[in-house]
Amino acid sequence: MIPLVSHLAPLVCAVLLAVTGAGKLFGRQTDRLAANTVLVRVLNDGRRATLALRGVGAIELALAAALFAVPDTVVPGAATALLGVGFTGYLAYARTTAPESSCGCTARAEGPIGAKAFSRAGLVVAGGVLAATADRPWWSEISHRPAAAAAVLALAAVLVTALMADPARVLMPLRRARLRLFGHPLEPATGERVPVAATVELLEHSLAWQAAMPVVRSALLDHWDDEGWRVLHYAGAYTDERGTHPADVLFALDLTLTVDSAPSPAVRVSVIDDMTGEVVPSAVLAPTRTPLPLAT
Amino acid sequence: MSPSQHSESGGRRLDRRRFLTTAAIGGATIVGASALGGLDADAAFAEPMPSLDTAIPAAFAEGRIVAINRNVLDVAGSHGERYLIQLTNATSVWKLRTTTAEAIEVGDGLYARGAAMPDGTIAADAVWVNIVNVYVTIRGIAKDRLHLQHGSAEVVGHIVPDTTTASYLGGALTADLSKTRIGQEAQVLGAWRPADGNIDIARVSLGH
Repeated sequence: MIPLVSHLAPLVCAVLLAVTGAGKLFGRQTDRLAANTVLVRVLNDGRRATLALRGVGAIELALAAALFAVPDTVVPGAATALLGVGFTGYLAYARTTAPESSCGCTARAEGPIGAKAFSRAGLVVAGGVLAATADRPWWSEISHRPAAAAAVLALAAVLVTALMADPARVLMPLRRARLRLFGHPLEPATGERVPVAATVELLEHSLAWQAAMPVVRSALLDHWDDEGWRVLHYAGAYTDERGTHPADVLFALDLTLTVDSAPSPAVRVSVIDDMTGEVVPSAVLAPTRTPLPLAT
Repeated sequence: MSPSQHSESGGRRLDRRRFLTTAAIGGATIVGASALGGLDADAAFAEPMPSLDTAIPAAFAEGRIVAINRNVLDVAGSHGERYLIQLTNATSVWKLRTTTAEAIEVGDGLYARGAAMPDGTIAADAVWVNIVNVYVTIRGIAKDRLHLQHGSAEVVGHIVPDTTTASYLGGALTADLSKTRIGQEAQVLGAWRPADGNIDIARVSLGH
């Protein structure tokens, strides 16, 4: 098993370094990424930081090519391990001096340096060491034991993806596919009765609400349905010549209507004095709309 | 509270509702739409309403409830202030839905709007408990919850039957959540759950 893994390690490392190296060397976002790394402070210049990041990308690509082409020699593997050690040292330095900086490891926007960045660097070290011990090229290993090799490669792919990619970005397409296959888990609404929030929305878009607003003091206090009506109860206060009096403000609306089905709703409004329990007809003034002047 | 007392108060509540229903249906009818938008739960984040009586200044409070004594909430503000908030029969209470003062618990967060009293307390007109209003991306959809990403944080938004509503492209609020899509940007208004940091969704607005 161990020789199998070490024989395939050059291939896995090559793919990994090719992806991250190409991202750094040719990526359009490398400037922006470099600006977030600790390199800017070390090199005193954003342009030099970008160059350094692109340089590392070039080295990674070269190593990838070497690992790919001459996997049974020691040098590419050892160099990869050395690069991994370098990454770890850089991360440790960046973390102690500027913990909020981005690591720039995978040439993608990402947050502060965490355990994941260190595991990635550790993976490069481990992969390099394994690749250095390979004494047989990966292609002959694959042709020799195709099933076992496929299993190891699949496992390595899962490990690398888990460490490299944002889990949400990997899971989202899977979740989307699941919804497409098994249907949407949430069922469409049934029944005539609309949610209370929809009735409140209808009220708040009505002329009745605008007219009653000076009297209403609270948000929705209570609500109930009665014989096709939905009654919305608010607390309020109205003013007459004797002063300000607490009151109940009541609205009655059709419980099947929403702002979509009733663009111009009919709303019943009443204000009841809290003390006397009597309806106050003059508390809400029905609004009169002055027509807009028309150009003739 | 004994069961007999409970049914008595429940009966009184029903009588009161019946009385109010008669008054409500007998009220004046006003037809038409307003040019103004709604406020309600959103009002928690709006400017304080001017006081009706100019002698009483309008007040606004925000913070965590540290103690409840009868109908007075002792609230520690986010910036070190301390508020005493008096609840009355006329105070509306929102906690995911329209509810009563009994639903308020110590540890809850709150926004309150009311009038400043001479003794330094606030007589609340309306309180909104644990209300949150966040812009999120929908990351996952399940039968009873939406997985939401808020900034770099993952939040679970619970779907509450008979309460959670959705609005698509500015349309009317509906109980139909079947048009939500993974990857969509959404605005979620809901009640934060202090116990686990998740949200019970009151309203999810999509495509606005």
